[in-house]
Amino acid sequence: MIEPFTLPFMARALAEIVLLALICGPVSVFVFARRLSFTSDALTHTVFPGVVIGFMAGQLFAGALVAAIVTAVALTLLTAGGRVSDDAATAVLLTAMFSIGVVLVSRRSSYTSDLTSFLFGRLLTVTPRQIAETAVLAVVVLIALAIGARALLFRTFDPAGAQAAGYRVFWLDLWLNLIVALVVVAAVRAVGTILVVALLIIPAAAARMVSDRLAVMVVTGTVLVVAAGYTGLLASWTASLHYGVALTSASAVVLVLVAVYLVLIPVRILRTGPARRT
Amino acid sequence: MPALRYAGVSVGYDRTPVLTHVDLELDPGQRLILVGPNGAGKSTLIKSVLGLAPVLAGEATVLGESPAAARGRAGYVPQIDTLDADFPVSVRQVVMMGRYRSIGWWRPARAADRRAVADALELVGLADRAGHRFGTLSGGQRQRVLLARAIAAEPRLLLLDEPFNGVDAVSQEAIIAVLRELAAGGTALVLSTHDLTVARELADLVCLINGRQWAVGTPGETLTAGKLRSAYGGHTVDLPDGHTMLVEP
Repeated sequence: MIEPFTLPFMARALAEIVLLALICGPVSVFVFARRLSFTSDALTHTVFPGVVIGFMAGQLFAGALVAAIVTAVALTLLTAGGRVSDDAATAVLLTAMFSIGVVLVSRRSSYTSDLTSFLFGRLLTVTPRQIAETAVLAVVVLIALAIGARALLFRTFDPAGAQAAGYRVFWLDLWLNLIVALVVVAAVRAVGTILVVALLIIPAAAARMVSDRLAVMVVTGTVLVVAAGYTGLLASWTASLHYGVALTSASAVVLVLVAVYLVLIPVRILRTGPARRT
Repeated sequence: MPALRYAGVSVGYDRTPVLTHVDLELDPGQRLILVGPNGAGKSTLIKSVLGLAPVLAGEATVLGESPAAARGRAGYVPQIDTLDADFPVSVRQVVMMGRYRSIGWWRPARAADRRAVADALELVGLADRAGHRFGTLSGGQRQRVLLARAIAAEPRLLLLDEPFNGVDAVSQEAIIAVLRELAAGGTALVLSTHDLTVARELADLVCLINGRQWAVGTPGETLTAGKLRSAYGGHTVDLPDGHTMLVEP
């Protein structure tokens, strides 16, 4: 069970997942509580053209970072004031940016392999430099979250009360969207723009099945991602080595997360009764 | 210095007035009840004091400043049905939110903050529920938790939006007792309700509104059959005991 991880590329993949778990656990709890799943999904797609441009310019990381910050600001402005057209506007931005990304990447001769790696990541080819960059982002994200945690909690639970207490909701929303955007940047090379959204939504959604407490949800979510990372990598390794089945490692990790979520649904129903919504 | 002073004030959204001609003055320790039918502008008036709805005309002073400058200094108890009962947060965490502004962004909660939270929960009679999830409490208990949250911030002016809606009799009595105690300690109170019995029982001042201010004064001066009829549009019933019952239009 440990042996595959003595190989450097497997160890690096696991290290990357552990770093991502440390940020996805806590951030996903806020995404879940704020019901930002769709916004997070939009962010992952709108970062896509930035990733492509960055890749072409040899600065994938910088491209993703700029795209993430720009779209976090755009999405915050679009959703400010709780306008009814939120969903439509976000969906338009999402599809537009994603299409631009596909157009850009389709101009390249290595179209298919590039697109695949942008969409689904390359967990097994993570370099030490990428791990270092993820670590730096993880520290930034955790500090940003620690500073804003109380205000974000208040704003999420009771927007009017938080405003009355003197908090500026727009800036808090921007703060959280930027945090989510940074998580996307941190995770995009390892798990791709499509799968990163799973890391932002499933940990907290699954943790909510077993706990009513935010702190417990944060820890549970983090542990879940680590466990799914380990299991998924091992499954992908075993499948390709012993059974000759090509199982993309990032997809395997996400599938394990989804499986855990599904397994926990009955737990939630047993704890609270079927009448309660989750 | 009055806790609240409105002179010829109109409030509303997007430059459309919801409520006009508001003239009132509230001293520390006084209890002002806003009475009016649904849609009268009670919530908007409260939001304007909090700096969350614009003052379109007239002069508004909250704790000696403009409402925008005073934002965060007045306490606020929202209606319970505006909050998600499924939210994973404990009673203690909700009350601690009242301390967040004084705690600031960086430092952890101190013993003084925890004591303020415990004291506030004690005051509303829910000390034994501190560890429970907020959503598992009854409507009345949740309303008391929100009152405790406001108390934990130690405001000099406290605004409550329909605090007796969906609240059982036990909780209503508990809330009224706490409000009396707060006012006795010098906190100015503004409370909206369409329950005239509560208004008579609790008010030093009643402000009768419906799109505009119809009357302001003691309950005896304002909650008269004639004034209620003019504000509500003719739907009142005079009772033999001298009181007036309202039939909501």
